[in-house]
Parts: sequence; C-alpha cells; structure tokens
Amino acid sequence: MIKYIKNIITGIISLCEGLSVTLKHVFRKPITLQYPEQKPDLQLRYRGRLVMPVDPEKNDIRCTACMICAKVCPNHSILEIEKVIEDGKPKPKAKKYIYNLGTCMFCNLCVEACPFAAIIMSDEYALANEDKEKLILELVSEKYNLTGKKLNWWKSKFKDETINKEKVQK
Amino acid sequence: MELIKDILYNTDKILKDFYNWAYKLWSSFNLPFFILDIVFYLLITLAVAAFLVFNALFIIYYDRKVAAKFQVRYGPNRVGYKGILQTVADTIKLLIKEDINADKVDKIVFFLAPFLVFIPSFLVFLVIPFGKGLIPADLNIGILYVLAITGLSVLGILSAGWASNNKYSLIGGMRSAAQIISYEIPMVLVILSVLLLSGSLKMGDIINAQSSISKWFIFVQPIGFILFLIAGNAEINRAPFDLPEAESELVSGFITEYSAMKFAFFFLAEYTNLFLTSAIATTLFLGGWQGPFLPPFVWFIIKTYLVITLLMWFRWTFPRIRVDHLMEFSWKYLTPIAFVNLIATAILVKFI
Ligand code: SF4
Ligand code: SF4
Repeated sequence: MIKYIKNIITGIISLCEGLSVTLKHVFRKPITLQYPEQKPDLQLRYRGRLVMPVDPEKNDIRCTACMICAKVCPNHSILEIEKVIEDGKPKPKAKKYIYNLGTCMFCNLCVEACPFAAIIMSDEYALANEDKEKLILELVSEKYNLTGKKLNWWKSKFKDETINKEKVQK
Repeated sequence: MELIKDILYNTDKILKDFYNWAYKLWSSFNLPFFILDIVFYLLITLAVAAFLVFNALFIIYYDRKVAAKFQVRYGPNRVGYKGILQTVADTIKLLIKEDINADKVDKIVFFLAPFLVFIPSFLVFLVIPFGKGLIPADLNIGILYVLAITGLSVLGILSAGWASNNKYSLIGGMRSAAQIISYEIPMVLVILSVLLLSGSLKMGDIINAQSSISKWFIFVQPIGFILFLIAGNAEINRAPFDLPEAESELVSGFITEYSAMKFAFFFLAEYTNLFLTSAIATTLFLGGWQGPFLPPFVWFIIKTYLVITLLMWFRWTFPRIRVDHLMEFSWKYLTPIAFVNLIATAILVKFI
C-alpha cells in the first residue's frame, strides 16, 4: 500500500518535471533556418564542389598540371589535364582541367594531394542539374574567385607552405 | 445595436423569438408543422457540420503550430499568412488523391469503417452547449448520451482494423477496443462524481450549477479534472495513449491501409474528438460558456481551446506508454483513484 502511494507520487512528480521541460522550450526562439531566404553559415572546411580559384596576387591559377590530383582521385573524377604549350614545349601550367562532378564523392583527397594548393572544395552545394553532360566541368576557364573567409583560409594554406619551406632551408 | 448585443449575449431569447415568428408565419400558410421542423433540423445539422469541418481544419493547423513551438521550430508558414492555409492545401491534396483499396480487404466493411468512426463524433455535437441557447438539443440525459455515443466509435476502429486484412491494422483495432473499454470506466466514475454535484444529467443544468467561478467543478474536483483529461485523452487515442496507431510498432495501426478521402475521414474524426473531449471538459469542469464581458460563445471557444492546448502539451511531452502499462495504469491506478474520488464526493455532498 505504501509502495502504491509512493508510486503515484513519484509518477506525478516525474510527469510534472517533463511538462516543465517542454514548457521551457516553448519560450525559446525557433532555431529553424528558413532555407531559400536564409542561407546557412557554412564551416571553412565545408566540401562543396571542386574549384580552381584564381590567386589574387598572381592573378592566375596556381595549377602546374602535375597530374597528382588525377592520379590520387579514387574514382577518376578528374578526367583530363592539358598543359599550356609554348614554342612547341609543354609548360608547367594547366590549359584545360576537366572535372566530372557527377562521379565525384567529395572525399577531398585531390585537394590534400595537390602540392601547390591549386584546388579547393568551394561553398557551392546546390549542384543538381537536369543534364548529365552539364556535370562535366572545365575548371581553368571558369576563373573562379573565392571571397571572404574561405579566400583567407585558402591563402593561408600556401603561405604556410612557403614559410615551412624557408624553415626547412634554414 | 441592441439586436447585435442580444444576438451575442442572449442568443436563447433571440432564437426563441425567431422560432415563434417562423411558426406563426408557417401557420398562416396552413401547412403541416413537421416540414418546418425538418427544415430547422437540417439547418442546425448544416451549421454544425460546417463548424465541425472548419474547426477540424483549424485544430490541425493549431496542433502543428503548437508542436512546432514545443520543438523549437516554426511549423507551417508558407501557404497563406503564417501558413494558415496549409491544412486547406493538405485537404485538397487528400481529396484528389487516388483512393486505393487493397486486394483482399473486406470491401463493404472497409468502406463503412471511416464513417463508423466519424458519425459518433458528429452525433455528440447534438448535446454540446456552444453558448446560451446554442445547443442543438438539451436532452435530459445529455452526458449519458455522450458516453453512449462515443462508445460506438470503437466499433468503427475495430472494423477498420478487421477489414484491412492486415496484421498491424488488426492489432491496432484490438488495442483500441481494449483501451477504450478500460478507460471508459474511470471516465464514467469521474463524470458520476460531477453529476453528484450538479444533480442532473442535462448539460444546461450542469452549467447552471457552476454559476460563479468559485463554483466551477474544477475547484471542487481537481483530481476529477485531471483524471478526466487522462481518460479522455486515452479515449480519443491521442499520444501518449496512441497505441492503436503507434507508428514505431504498427506502421499506422488501423489506418495503415487507408488512403485519400477515407484517411481524411479518420483524421477529421480524430481532431473532432479532440475538440469534443475538450468541450465536454469545459462543460463539466470549467463552467461551460459562462464568463464576464465576452459573449458566451467566445468564452466557450476560449476555454475549449485552453483545454486543447493542455492536451497538446501532454501529447508533445510524454512518450507513448507500453501496452501492458496502459492496462495497468487504467485498472490499478485510475479506476481506484476515481472510485475514492467518487466516494469522497458522495460523502461531501451528503453531509455538507
Ligand atoms: S591541381 Fe594540383 S595536383 Fe592537380 S595538376 Fe594542378 S597542381 Fe597538380
Ligand atoms: S574530391 Fe575525391 S572524388 Fe572528387 S575529384 Fe577529388 S579526389 Fe576525386
């Protein structure tokens, strides 16, 4: 009998606790993101599609067409890299860089493998398309410009590298 | 001006005058009176049906908004101003969807079940006092009628579960039958203790017995009010007692096989039942349509929606209870407490 009454009382108390928790939540501001009007604030490391940004200091792309990224890509999403040819000799600079967005799985391996930090995953995430052909992109002629935080982050990648190299030389 | 005030505050007098005027007019034509009666009844039915549909539309919208509030989000806010037309859009979608009949269902019963669920909730409106004189029929067995009619809806749920020829539906229907029958008892006991205080089964008399705020039965019967809310919530199969349609166990219980309009009927019935339970709680415990300044009808709606909000609060707080606990809770806890409450009330009424 005592246990019975105790059961009832603890039951009521715990139910009231639950009610008070939900009541507190009613007065909180909704945390919903109203998507098409409000855009999410993405992290720096967010992996959108691959881009080859223009380095604002050199006013040119940084790629040397060394093919490392194409070799490291697990599913051959980097299809073709063509070098600039001057006076009949190939130069260390990409003329054409063809990337297949359709098969890319955003693993970031190519970005990590690139010794010159020439490519980076951008903030673009709305990538749906009606046509499969349109997913095959040419990155050099795109002349992609990074902005804001992402640009600084990208810059710090190769700036740090030059600093590191200096250290090694010392 | 005077007329508008009368319509709002003394609806019973206006209605009576209108009846008398109509009868006089009718008798000057020398036609039988039953035709006029039928016309009046049809008008009342139409008014109630219109109220029921719009009210259900609004409650669904309101439920979603309240749920969103409890979950720290916005809820529907795209269709119409603040999403007010969302349920209208949903209803239109349900209306134009294909009505699928599964292969081995029991055709007739399958077709009739949604109506069997819906009709009892429609019939209960006969004795719901919306305001002064705004009651379709003030039967002298009012509350008994409510209990008798709401008990019928279990038939619809059970036949929906049976006719679907699907094990989940059948289990859902069976659970619903067990649940409604076991929670009927504490509910009746609570209502009995209210009836001891009011001394009448008539809705009008119950409301008149609570003529001032201090006489509201919620203050005399606080335990009764809580028990009524719990049992009522279980009767209408809403969370935390939504075992008949427990998504995580039974897909969707007895509505698993239903689609389109029939599915809409189940939802209409569910939300109408929610409104009815709240309306009866208002009538029994919160003094019905009585209140200062505002017209009686407005007071009734405000109080009813308060109770609805309370039930939604429960719904979005408590997890669904397990099926053996459901029975234990009813038979071991609610029923004895309701009995003690009834006996205490009887002693109080006798000696004070
Ligand atoms: S992107 Fe980097 S790794 Fe790929 S070819 Fe250009 S420089 Fe080499
Ligand atoms: S992110 Fe991965 S899959 Fe995509 S191109 Fe780079 S290495 Fe290939």
